[in-house]
Amino acid sequence: MRRYETIFITRPDLTDEDHSTLQEKLKSITHTLKGDLIKLEDWGQRKLGYEIRKNSRGHYFLLDYLSEPDLVKELERNLRLNDQVLKYQTVKISNQVSPDAARALKEASDIEKNKKGIEKPPPSEAVESISEKSETLDAQEGSKK
Amino acid sequence: MKPPMKKKRSFQRRKICVFCADSGMKIDYKDVKTLNHFVTERGKILPRRISGNCAKHQRDLTAAIKKARNIALMPFSIIGS
Repeated sequence: MRRYETIFITRPDLTDEDHSTLQEKLKSITHTLKGDLIKLEDWGQRKLGYEIRKNSRGHYFLLDYLSEPDLVKELERNLRLNDQVLKYQTVKISNQVSPDAARALKEASDIEKNKKGIEKPPPSEAVESISEKSETLDAQEGSKK
Repeated sequence: MKPPMKKKRSFQRRKICVFCADSGMKIDYKDVKTLNHFVTERGKILPRRISGNCAKHQRDLTAAIKKARNIALMPFSIIGS
């Protein structure tokens, strides 16, 4: 198993429903190809570094998962065909993840999820707190390493 | 006759690589805030002689900035005022 990280950007004008259907689709692909999803982060809308298809903003998502290379191929194929997705990028984080390490990673992500469930801010604040959110995410990653 | 040699440039204090000095700092392409310290205001990558990074970290940093550019977290260039 290898560990990968895929970031994809969707169009800014999508509804929450569009996002959840897309997420469900990607999750089901991960499941059928026996990948282990560690986390799916929603970074919210961000300003893009440059315009992509005339869009200056985009909604960022981060997928972190363990899998064999064939899942990456299938996920990227789906993202490419979906015209809601502006851009995607997959980065390999590590070549070999032992089953033990994989379990530890999954458990850590589960704990984080529970925490987030409690401390989740109301959605109305979501737009203002984007920059703060990314800060806290970075902090969490730093502490993990 | 040769003109007299130019005066030697005064010795500059050698800058220290930030990433070597502070081992807590990690280079991550998702961490735009840190990466922004190492680009010019036009978005170009700062050369090593300015930033003082060591060769290893400069390489990692360059790769990270390029990844961040590819996924539009950072601009390739900033044109205009």
